[in-house]
Amino acid sequence: MSIQVRELNYIYSKGLPDQSVALKDVSFEIGDGEFVGIIGHTGSGKSTLLQHLDGLLKPTSGTVVINGTEITAPGVNIMEVRRRTGLVFQYPEYQLFEETVEKDVAFGPANLGLDEEETAERVREAIGLVRMDYDEVRKKSPFDLSGGEKRRIAIAGVIAMKPDVLILDEPTAGLDPKAHKDILEMIEKVHDHENNITILVSHKMDDIARLADKVLVMEDGCLVMNGTPEEIFSQRDKLDSMGLNIPEAALLAAELRERGLPVREGIMTIEQAEEEIASLIGERR
Amino acid sequence: MLRDITLGQYYQGDSWVHRLDPRIKIIATLAFIIELFVVNSFIGFATAFAVLAVVIAVSRVPLRFILRGLKPIFLIILFTFVVNLFMIDGEILVRIGFLTITREGLYTAVFMATRLILLIIGSSILTLATKPISLTDGIESLMKPFSRFGVPAHELAMMMTIALRFIPTLLEETDKIMKAQQARGADFETGNIFKRAKHLIPILVPLFISAFRIAQDMAMAMEARCYRGGEHRTRMHEMKFSGRDAAAVALMAVFLAIIILERIFI
Amino acid sequence: MKTRFLMQAALIAAVYAVATILTGAISYGFMQVRVAEALTVLPALTPAAIPGLFIGCVIANILGPYGLADMICGSLATLAAAFFSYKLRHRPILVPLPPVIANGIIVGAMLYYVYNVPVSLPVCMGWVALGELISCYVIGYPLLKLLKKHDRLFK
Repeated sequence: MSIQVRELNYIYSKGLPDQSVALKDVSFEIGDGEFVGIIGHTGSGKSTLLQHLDGLLKPTSGTVVINGTEITAPGVNIMEVRRRTGLVFQYPEYQLFEETVEKDVAFGPANLGLDEEETAERVREAIGLVRMDYDEVRKKSPFDLSGGEKRRIAIAGVIAMKPDVLILDEPTAGLDPKAHKDILEMIEKVHDHENNITILVSHKMDDIARLADKVLVMEDGCLVMNGTPEEIFSQRDKLDSMGLNIPEAALLAAELRERGLPVREGIMTIEQAEEEIASLIGERR
Repeated sequence: MLRDITLGQYYQGDSWVHRLDPRIKIIATLAFIIELFVVNSFIGFATAFAVLAVVIAVSRVPLRFILRGLKPIFLIILFTFVVNLFMIDGEILVRIGFLTITREGLYTAVFMATRLILLIIGSSILTLATKPISLTDGIESLMKPFSRFGVPAHELAMMMTIALRFIPTLLEETDKIMKAQQARGADFETGNIFKRAKHLIPILVPLFISAFRIAQDMAMAMEARCYRGGEHRTRMHEMKFSGRDAAAVALMAVFLAIIILERIFI
Repeated sequence: MKTRFLMQAALIAAVYAVATILTGAISYGFMQVRVAEALTVLPALTPAAIPGLFIGCVIANILGPYGLADMICGSLATLAAAFFSYKLRHRPILVPLPPVIANGIIVGAMLYYVYNVPVSLPVCMGWVALGELISCYVIGYPLLKLLKKHDRLFK
């Protein structure tokens, strides 16, 4: 399972007075089982890029190849494409509509043409993966759930399609810190369980630093940086100029370094910072 | 996809027609349409055409926008024309196979088509040269006399204003919902009417629920700012009659006079 | 009029208008199969849909390229239908019927007398009624059944 994006361009309202370039010559590759983070300001083209990966938009020029299939080629079976890629939009709970949780989660698998038995199995598994009690919630109305629960069910609806590529656009938007943490843990668990490619769009650099193997930075429709979290987040000034921050722990490490302390490079998480600082204090005694 | 939809018919401008009081415009359009049905000769239509030409010229709305209004009903016009042309009995002019074109048929076909075209163009000018918000104000004002009979003019106008304000919001919301459901495999494009109808439900239900949620929030927000209904509310732009409006009334009066004379003498 | 009622009506109007705009060509064209007409089942859920659908129809006609005749006839037909749908709200299967009849009669008459569509009056009415039947029963009825299951949200 791999993704190759080559020279992707997309222009909104081409030919009309309000034409605007959303994507400019974007190229990158994602390998099997990778967890990729995409960061960038609002308007940088992230959403547009995501929609290209799911076949919701067709590029003005350029190609997207997912697992050997060029999904941007004419005559391609779009339903197949959408089967392979699961896209969870922002505030996905607003797409819930069915009578029961069970039926709503089943919507995706049913659209794929799976039979009843297979669908029921997928629904059960998906609800379990989002850490909810299948027997307890299955017959409830989705609108009877709390905000965080609704979101998880909405995500379950996409996971139930067993996509090879799972894309999540700011899955923790609007959630309180505990719910945020829960969702993130859930995403990590799903990624490990399904062994798929997971793409996470987020403003929370800490999350990206913790989970991503690779980070893509978008600005003004262009892919401006592409590397590991360590590589990307060590370029604090460049990110700053784009209005993006770095993980809290990295920021702390950088500040300490500026004050002359020999803090090592590449600190991304709180745990790493804790370890480093503890060892430095230990040395000083 | 949804970015390309231009909302409504309004063509931005600052002409005399744009600046007329909306109430005058609504009444004039109504009068124009009614008068079209009083007409029974082409002289009447010629006069109507002249009136329209004057109004269009003054409004400075490009012709292609005016003609765009005819596109949707083009089929109806064509259908009406063709059926009238071939189906009416009378003095035969042309024979094509088993179809005949009579003098009466030709006259009726052209007459009906002309009336229809003038009617649509007349209505189009109203919506092309008047902002939806102005139309709302105009309608509210015209309905006020009816509030004596229990018609809640202010409330209805308020509903219209708020609905207009939220249409772009809901359009965006629909776009998001559609994309989310498509990402879950819903297919709105192919299939017969029953299949497509089924897949509209996952859009309509969330859309409706979102709309309701907005309604609850808005109601709270308005009451928090002391909204209590229409009585004693003032507005930022008061509608006032001016010289322009008098000129418009005069024009319509002349038109009406000609129509009546035409009807009597021709 | 309570503010909440007013707002609900306003938003229903907005949804109706949006539904009409989005089904663009089919809504305003010769074939009167409007997806938005499926929303005429809403009075069964809340009385705010009676003025709501009426205003929605007025707006849809302002924003669309039809004429004053449509605005008046279509909207009044919608208003009358909404009122009766509300009255029939305890018998779901009958709820989509008033719009079919009201639009069939009033809009059909409008097509005949105003637009002079040269087929007989009953055919005009039947044609419109058919389009409404499809919208209201094929889309509207299932919509109603599902929304009724969530009806706590609409109180």
